[in-house]
Amino acid sequence: MVSALSRKLLRDLARLWSQAAAIALVLACGVAILLMSLGMFQALETTREAYYDRQRFADVFARATRAPRALMPEIAALPGVVAAEARVAGLVTLDLAGRSRPGMGQVLSLPAAGGSPRLNVPILATGRLPDPEARDEVLVNAAFAKANGLGPGDRLVANLNGRKRGLAITGTALSPEFVYTLGPGALMPDNAGYGILWLPDRAAAAAFDLQGAFNDISLSLAGGADANAVIDALDRLLAPYGGTGAHGRDQQLSDAFVTAEIQQLKAMAWILPPVFFGISAFLVHMVLGRIVALERPVIGLLKALGYSNLAVAGHYLMLAALTAAAGILLGWAVGTWLSRALAELYAQFFDFPYLVWRAQPGPYAVAGLLGLAAASAGALQAAIAAGRLPPAEAMRPPAPPRYGRTLSDRLLAGAGLGQPAMMVWRGILRWPLRSGLTMLGLALAVAVMVAANFLDDALDKLIDIAFTQAARQDAALILGQEAAGIAVEEVRALPGVLIAEGQTSQPAILRHGPRERRIGIEARPPGADLARTVDSEGRPVALPPRGVLLSSRLAERLEARPGDVIEAEFLTGRRETHGLPVAGIVEQYFGLGAYMQADALAALRREAPRVGAVNVALDPAAQADFDAALKDIPALAGTVMLTQVRRSFEDTIAENVVIMNTIYITVAVLITFGVTYNGARIQLSERARDLASLRILGFTRGEVSGILVGESLVLAVAAQPVGWAIGGAIAGALAHGSQSDLYAVPVVLKPATFAAASLLVLAAAAGSALVVRRRLDQLDLVSVLKTRE
Amino acid sequence: MAETIYRTRGLSRVYATGAAAVRALDAVDLDVPAGEFVVLLGPSGSGKSTLLNILGGLDRATEGEVWFRDRSLTAMDEADLTRYRRDHVGFVFQFYNLVASLTARENVQLVTDIAANPLPPDEALGLVGLGPRVHHFPAELSGGEQQRVAIARAIAKRPEVLLCDEPTGALDSQTGVQVLDALAEVNARFATTCLVITHNAAIREMAHRVIRFQDGHVAEVEVNATRRAASEIAW
Repeated sequence: MVSALSRKLLRDLARLWSQAAAIALVLACGVAILLMSLGMFQALETTREAYYDRQRFADVFARATRAPRALMPEIAALPGVVAAEARVAGLVTLDLAGRSRPGMGQVLSLPAAGGSPRLNVPILATGRLPDPEARDEVLVNAAFAKANGLGPGDRLVANLNGRKRGLAITGTALSPEFVYTLGPGALMPDNAGYGILWLPDRAAAAAFDLQGAFNDISLSLAGGADANAVIDALDRLLAPYGGTGAHGRDQQLSDAFVTAEIQQLKAMAWILPPVFFGISAFLVHMVLGRIVALERPVIGLLKALGYSNLAVAGHYLMLAALTAAAGILLGWAVGTWLSRALAELYAQFFDFPYLVWRAQPGPYAVAGLLGLAAASAGALQAAIAAGRLPPAEAMRPPAPPRYGRTLSDRLLAGAGLGQPAMMVWRGILRWPLRSGLTMLGLALAVAVMVAANFLDDALDKLIDIAFTQAARQDAALILGQEAAGIAVEEVRALPGVLIAEGQTSQPAILRHGPRERRIGIEARPPGADLARTVDSEGRPVALPPRGVLLSSRLAERLEARPGDVIEAEFLTGRRETHGLPVAGIVEQYFGLGAYMQADALAALRREAPRVGAVNVALDPAAQADFDAALKDIPALAGTVMLTQVRRSFEDTIAENVVIMNTIYITVAVLITFGVTYNGARIQLSERARDLASLRILGFTRGEVSGILVGESLVLAVAAQPVGWAIGGAIAGALAHGSQSDLYAVPVVLKPATFAAASLLVLAAAAGSALVVRRRLDQLDLVSVLKTRE
Repeated sequence: MAETIYRTRGLSRVYATGAAAVRALDAVDLDVPAGEFVVLLGPSGSGKSTLLNILGGLDRATEGEVWFRDRSLTAMDEADLTRYRRDHVGFVFQFYNLVASLTARENVQLVTDIAANPLPPDEALGLVGLGPRVHHFPAELSGGEQQRVAIARAIAKRPEVLLCDEPTGALDSQTGVQVLDALAEVNARFATTCLVITHNAAIREMAHRVIRFQDGHVAEVEVNATRRAASEIAW
C-alpha cells in the first residue's frame, strides 16, 4: 500500500507540475546532450575499433620513391613488426563520362598473389576483386562510385602516368584507410571528384614503372611494440630509396580526421552539460526553498506526529528526486534518439561500412547520476533546513523578513524612486544570493546563445582568411613528378589561364628542442599572389628572403617564436638537416604549415627550384576549354578546383550551423523560461499578500504586475554583460576543445552576436514573466488576504 | 492514587528574541495524574502553549526537568524525542493542521503508517463520527469536521496522552461541543490523559483538574468534584 506521505508527495508533484516540468526540461537537456555526446563518442570509437580490427588497418605507413621488393624481408623482420605489405601508389587524373572536369584518383595496388591484401583490407560492397592478371580491371571506393553513378561493369578513363587507359570497374569497396576520403589540397571530401582505385599489382607496377619495386608500405605491429623505434628503423631502411618519413596512425589523414572528430565530441560532452546541471540545481534550490517555507506548518505537524528529521528531509529530497527522474527519463529518451540518429549521420559522413551502436549502460548511468546529483545538490539545503526545523518553531508563522536600512537603501531613497520601484529593488537586495543565482542562470542562457552564434562568425572569418585572403587560386594543378620552373609556363599557356604560379612542398621533420612535427614546407616565388600567407587579420605576409614562416598552431606545437632557429630534416633528395630561423608567424586554420621563398629553399638545398603544383586564376568564360585541356595533360596527377572546395565547404557548414543554432536557441529559451518562470512564481507566492494589498489600496493591475515582472526583468538586464563574458569564455573553450593539427576555429565575437543573444533571452524572460502575470491578474484578492501565512 | 504521567520541576523556557529575553515559563512545578481530563487556562502569553510543546516533546526546556512517567524528557536527544512523540503522544491544534493534499483517511494514515499498534484509520474516523466522509479532502470539510479528523488522527495511534492546543478556538459553539464530546469520549473510553488549552473558561467544568497560568507560573490548580458533559456547558 502506498503510504500517506508518498501520496502527499505525488499530489504535491502534480500540483507543482509546471514548475517541476520547467526544471525537468532543463535537466533533460543536460542529460540528453551528455548522453548524445558520450553515446556518439562511444559508437564512433567502437565502430572504428571494430572496423580497424576486422580489416587489419596498419599501424605504420611510409612512402618512398622507388624501393626494391627485395627490401621486404628485412622490413618484415624488424622487431615488433607482425606483418608488412608493399604497394604501388600514385595519383592519376580521371576522365569520367558525363563530367566535364577531370577527377583525381589515388591508385593502390592489390597484391599479385591471393588478390586481397593482408593489411588495410578493403570490404567489397558490390562486385568482385579485379583479376590479378587483368591489365584493365579496377576496384573503386564505394563513395566515389555512388557519387558518379558508377557500378560493376562501368568504365572510366585514367591518365596512368602519362598514358590514357580505359578501366572496367569490377566492384566497389570500403577501406579502413579511407573512412574520411580527402584528396590532396581538399578540405572536405569530394567523392565525385576524388576516388580510390585498386589495381592489380602487375598493372599498377607497369603504369608507374615500378616493376619489382614499391613506393608505399604498411606495417602492422605487435601489441606493446615500440612504434617510434619501428618508424626510425623503417626510415633508415627506406632513406636510400627516397623514403619521405614513416609515420603512425596519428598522421594517417583519414584516421587523424576521425580521431579529431571523436576528440571534439568528447570535449563537447563536458562543456555544455555542466551548464544545464548547474541551472537545474539552482532551480531546484529556489523552488524547493520556497516549498519548504510554505510548508512550515506541515513540517511541524509531521514532526509532532513522530516523523524523524531524516524522514522529513527525505520527503522533500524525494520531491526533487522525482522531478529529476522525470528529467532524466526524458533526457535518456531524447539522448538515445539523438545519439542514434547522429551516429548514423556520422557513419555516413565517415565511410564506415557499418555502425556499432549499442545502448551502453555506462553513459546512461553517468548522465542519470549526474542529473540526480545536480537535483540533490540543489535540494540539499532546503531539505536539511526542513529536517532541522524544530517542531515548535515550525508551528509558528515565520518572522517577517527583516528589511534593514542599508547603504543601498539610502542610495535608492536619494534616487527618488517610487514605492513600487523601491519594492523591486528591496526584493532584489533582500535575497542577494537568490538574485545573484537568478542572474547567473539567465547569464548562462545568454552565454549559450553567444557560444552558439560565435561559430557562425568564426566560420565566416575562417572562410574569409582561408579562401579570400590566403588560397585565392581557382584551381591547383598537381604535377605527377616535381618539374622545373618551365612547367609553370606550360600551364600559363593553357586556355583560360590568367595567372599561373608554381609552388612546391618538401616533406621535412621540423624540430625545436624535444618537439617535432613532420610537415611539408611549402615554397613559392616571392610576390606570389594566388596562394599567400596572411596574418590573423587576413593581411598578406610577404615570404622572407631567408628563414621560414610558421603557422601559429605549428609554432605553438613546436614552442617556437620568431627569432628561434628550428631544425629541418628534409626527407627527399640529399636528406640534409638545416637550421632555419623562424622569420614570422602566420595564421592558418586548416592544417599546420611552414612557408619559404622558393629561391631560399632551393639555395638552402643546393638544387634548382622545383615545382610540384601550379596555382592558377581562370577566366570563368573559358572554364570548359580549360577543363577539356586538363584531361590531355600527361604529367598531371590531379586537379584541385578551389572554387568547388569553397562551395562544398560553405554548404556543409551552412547546414551544420542551422542545426546547431536551432538546438542552441531552443536550449537558451528553455533555460530562460525555467529560471524566469520559477523565479516569478516564487515572487508571486511570497508577495501575493503585498501585491493584493496594493491592489486594494488602489494600485492598478499594471502597476502591481510591474513590481512582480520588474524584479525578473531587472535581473535579466543585469545578467546580459555577465552572459556575454561567460559566453566568450565558453566560445574560447569550444574553439580550444575542437582544435587539432588538422583544423582550428578562430574565436570571433561580434557585437551583433551579443545583441542577438540578449534580445532572445530578454524576449524569453519577458514572455515567461507575462505568463506569471496572468496568474496575478486572476488572483482572488479577498481570499489571498484572508489566508493565514 | 493514580500514577503520575507528567512531572515537572523548576521548568523554565526562555526565548531570546532580539535584545529582550522572554521567560515564557518560569520555574514550573507540576504533577499530572494519568487518565485525567486536564484543562489549562490563562491569558495569551501565560505559558500554556509553551508547557504543552515541552510536554509533547516539540520544544525543549531552558532549565529544570520534566518526566514522562519515569523517563526524563529533558535527557532525551532528538531521535528519542521523535520516538516518544511517535509512540506516546497525540496532538490536536487550533487550526487543525491537516495536510491539504491528503484526504481525511490519508491524514489519519500519516499516523497509522508509522505507529506501532494503531487503530485502523476508518475506525478512528468512525469514533469521531466521520465514517461517511473518509474520502473527502480538508477543503471539502467544515471546520468542525476538519478538527474531528485531527482528533481521529491524534487518537489513531492509541496515545497515552492527547495534547490539545485550543481545539475549539476556531469553531462555533455547536461544533465546539461536538469536538469536546469527542475528546471526552476518548478520555473516558481509553483512559487517555487529555491536556486541553482553552480561552473558554466554561470548559473547565468538564475537567477533572484545572490549571491556571499567569506570567509563566502556575497560579492555581483546582480539582473538580463533579464534572459536566460538554453539552451541558453554557458557552
